[in-house]
Amino acid sequence: MQLGFLVDLHLCMGCKGCEIACKVENEVPLSTWRLRVKYVDVGTFPETKRTFTPLRCNHCENAPCERICPVSALHYIENGIVNIDKERCIGCAGCVMACPYGAIYIDPETQTADKCTYCAHRIASSMMPACVVACPVEANIFGDLEDPASNISKYIQANRDVQVRKPEKGTKPHHFYVGASQAHLNPLASRREEGYNLFNNITHLPLGGHH
Amino acid sequence: MVHETLAATNAVVTLDVALPEAFWHWYVTMNMWAKSIGTGLIFMLFLLLRKNSSEMSGLRTPTIIVSFIMMNVFLLFTLADLHQPFRMWHIFFYPHWTSAITVGAWMATIFVGLEFVMAVMMIRKDKCTLTKTPTETFDKILFWVTLLAIPVTLYTAGIMAESTARELWQMPTESVQMILAATLSGSAAILLLGGSKLSDETKSFFASILGLSALMAFIIYMSEYIFGAMKSEEVAVILEYVKGHGEYATMFWIGQWTAYILPMILVALYRVSKSSAMLNLAAILAIAGLWVVKHVWLIIPQLLPLS
Repeated sequence: MQLGFLVDLHLCMGCKGCEIACKVENEVPLSTWRLRVKYVDVGTFPETKRTFTPLRCNHCENAPCERICPVSALHYIENGIVNIDKERCIGCAGCVMACPYGAIYIDPETQTADKCTYCAHRIASSMMPACVVACPVEANIFGDLEDPASNISKYIQANRDVQVRKPEKGTKPHHFYVGASQAHLNPLASRREEGYNLFNNITHLPLGGHH
Repeated sequence: MVHETLAATNAVVTLDVALPEAFWHWYVTMNMWAKSIGTGLIFMLFLLLRKNSSEMSGLRTPTIIVSFIMMNVFLLFTLADLHQPFRMWHIFFYPHWTSAITVGAWMATIFVGLEFVMAVMMIRKDKCTLTKTPTETFDKILFWVTLLAIPVTLYTAGIMAESTARELWQMPTESVQMILAATLSGSAAILLLGGSKLSDETKSFFASILGLSALMAFIIYMSEYIFGAMKSEEVAVILEYVKGHGEYATMFWIGQWTAYILPMILVALYRVSKSSAMLNLAAILAIAGLWVVKHVWLIIPQLLPLS
């Protein structure tokens, strides 16, 4: 079994229900995220639209975070999930440096690395990840990539425009998108200039560290 | 993560955005800088042994002690940079050998252990049963410590190579830069340590190493600076931080001038004038500038949004 995610961006309406469900389920502290819905505004007024992209750990088959972790705190489990043992983590932040998707953070409360685990604890109890349950339009499709009869496998077979983030990194993500453009997947294609935000007077909170 | 306080409601609006800050900061710069000096001194001591062992007499003990101190500074900052420093022992009891961090931690520990033995032996003037004098034993161990100094110097480049997200840190460029940082700072440190104990010929030898290391490292940085953007979109964006009015442009050039350009000029002038003061100034600038150069190169790839 190799579990994977697919997000149909044609369906996602940016309600952030998945993001909230993840925060609650995993008690993710403020100033960090396991799942984030990125908003990108594209086009020139009046021809504009807003795109939404749920971002989470890609559970790569060739995971740079697993490779660089000096104590195997980040490790594969049998169903393909890249899990984390917070009791073993030494907080070196090597995984933060290695993850090309910026999906790993240092938990400011435990001072250890943390990230999306595809809700491995729920899967162990035969439940779907919290974000899948919360999605009102079933844009998050989760299942076994090795099972041709699973929803995710059928979706991948049925859609031509299935993409992953940063394929050039060779990480072989187990997280796919349908209906994505460069603005969705490439952070450099949607860089927002400082000062041009939805809110004014934005300040940064200190992030999970002691420096 | 960003937030904004709304005056009307006094509510804090928290927005999830790409994590914008550098996670490896100046502690890691200190780590790399101190390690360069620690291993570089060993390389230079070994070269001196092979080139002119008669000049080793007053240098064995101070050099090994300074190298040992710098290696401990490196270990101290490595430990301090961990968010869970008291779990450092996990690296020895749950080692994950695909990680350059693990391999480096083990090798650095053995390296520092051997240095400790050498330092104690020289201070106590212990005799080894296999050799006639402590210096003979010291010189025999020095060979193996020098061999070990190579991977200890290079493993940080391995960590940078495994940092898949940071496109700027490429192998084998970082390996070469690490070795050059060691030869640059090692030659500078031994020139300062040796002082009048070194003959003019030996000083010229180490001055050449200093000047050539600076030249080669400078060429690599300039190659990246000029051509890096032509190969990768990410590198192009990262290098914007050190170009024009980039956030780290001033610091980048301060580092390049202090670590490389000025020492090169001073070494060239030394070869004409034979002024030791000029050479000492070159050595001090190289050591100080190396910290700045390392810091800039450490920080700028971390400023890139990844998601």
